[in-house]
Amino acid sequence: MSKNSKSKVPGEPTGSGTSLLETATAAIQAFAPVNKIHQHLCAFHFYSHDMTRQVEAHHFCGHQNEEMRQCLIYDSPEANARLIGLEYIVSENLFMTLPDEEKRLWHSHEYEVKSGLLVTPGIPGPIERRDLESVCKTYGKVYHFWQVDKGDCLPLGVPQLMMAFTRDGQVYKELVQNCGKRLGVDHEKERMNREYMKGPEHGIDPLANGGGKGLKTVLREVHLPKNQPPSSATRVFV
Amino acid sequence: MHLACLPRPLFLPLYHFQFTLISSNTTVMASADKSPDPTPLGQSMSVGQHMLDKGAMMLQSLKPVKQFSQHVCSFAIYSHDMSRQIETHHYCSRLNQDFLQCAVYDSDDANARLLGVEYIVSDRIFEDLPDEEKKLWHSHAYEVKMGLLISPRVPEMIAMPELENLAKSYGKFWCTWQADRGDRVPLGAPALMMSLQGVKPGLVRPDLVHQRDAKYHIASDSYKTSRLEIPEPEMISPFADYWKQHGKGFAIDIVDSEMILRAPFP
Repeated sequence: MSKNSKSKVPGEPTGSGTSLLETATAAIQAFAPVNKIHQHLCAFHFYSHDMTRQVEAHHFCGHQNEEMRQCLIYDSPEANARLIGLEYIVSENLFMTLPDEEKRLWHSHEYEVKSGLLVTPGIPGPIERRDLESVCKTYGKVYHFWQVDKGDCLPLGVPQLMMAFTRDGQVYKELVQNCGKRLGVDHEKERMNREYMKGPEHGIDPLANGGGKGLKTVLREVHLPKNQPPSSATRVFV
Repeated sequence: MHLACLPRPLFLPLYHFQFTLISSNTTVMASADKSPDPTPLGQSMSVGQHMLDKGAMMLQSLKPVKQFSQHVCSFAIYSHDMSRQIETHHYCSRLNQDFLQCAVYDSDDANARLLGVEYIVSDRIFEDLPDEEKKLWHSHAYEVKMGLLISPRVPEMIAMPELENLAKSYGKFWCTWQADRGDRVPLGAPALMMSLQGVKPGLVRPDLVHQRDAKYHIASDSYKTSRLEIPEPEMISPFADYWKQHGKGFAIDIVDSEMILRAPFP
């Protein structure tokens, strides 16, 4: 079982001058796009080529409109959490407009919601369930940029496409229990409360969830077009 | 906030939105030659959903997203196609003196699109990265010193210490929503972004700067003088800004792969 690492991010503690400055900028500037983030949602992802590597993912989501949310993903709900990825969540309607090859990159949420794996800590059950009834029918696309489960103390390498769980037996029980204890959430109880929920109206699209197969991200070098020649001068100064 | 305090009507199912089929001539296919439509596809927010959102904001602490301390506006270039440049809005939170993590949007409006994530590290941290990793990073000195990177609404004098930090830093920026090519939903694989530099094809498009400057009532050019003395890294690694010395960019492909399983899938 993979263990989420809590390695410290390398670097000096924030200097008092920097802190002061940032308190000032935070007071002067407007942060409209991030102020719109209104919801904390905790779930679990696995790497799209490796189900044995699983990550607790704390989503902080805002609505673009009724049919699309955009979420920042952190490795914890604490102030010093690491920003490890992002997720876009779309309604079934929007998902159906995607090209076939795009659909494979998205995952369904029905199982995550109905199994109780996906929770919104702090929100009373009845209110939580109203929103999750909608989430149950949606599809998500997740990229992680920081492989904290590998122990990386910096965001190294290429983005990783992630997937969500689709049936019993996939997620590590210990991962869920550990999370439940910390958040004060009873995932099993949630499952019972959500039995009534329904997934996508048209059923889960067979192309979603990788089309049932693994996917992997690969880096490729690209030759830049000839009409945009780069500088070949040795560089020491900007 | 206790449930009993909420007026009864809130619990009627206002937020069971009605599905409406998007008309058949709406397309989300990405085309390089389509002019951008700024509206994301989808219905606008119902009253019920707004209520749910407000309620959640009051009950959850949302600590990680309360840590943003700076808004920075600049420009970025697609590493696989350097003819495409975009205006970016970074909302940065600092984990320590050497590390910033930023959510990047396409505007400073409440309905801005989340374009991706950028990580910013000091030159000290950057120098310790393996060469293969360095290739994915870009330097910031040029855009800071040319006045292209700004801290909107913050007076230059106040911003100066942070500009000095940024001038010596390196960034790694993955863009997951190519809105500039007309994508109305995030499509495809993440794109690696590069920074503006003093040589083609890294030179900024003047029209982008004019547009940005007009919005903030500033003249980027005027910052060059005040920023002349800002120190840069003594030497920028030849692996950063990889295109400059190697003439190559990077793209991410998503390919079929065996999935290591521990249970049947899907």
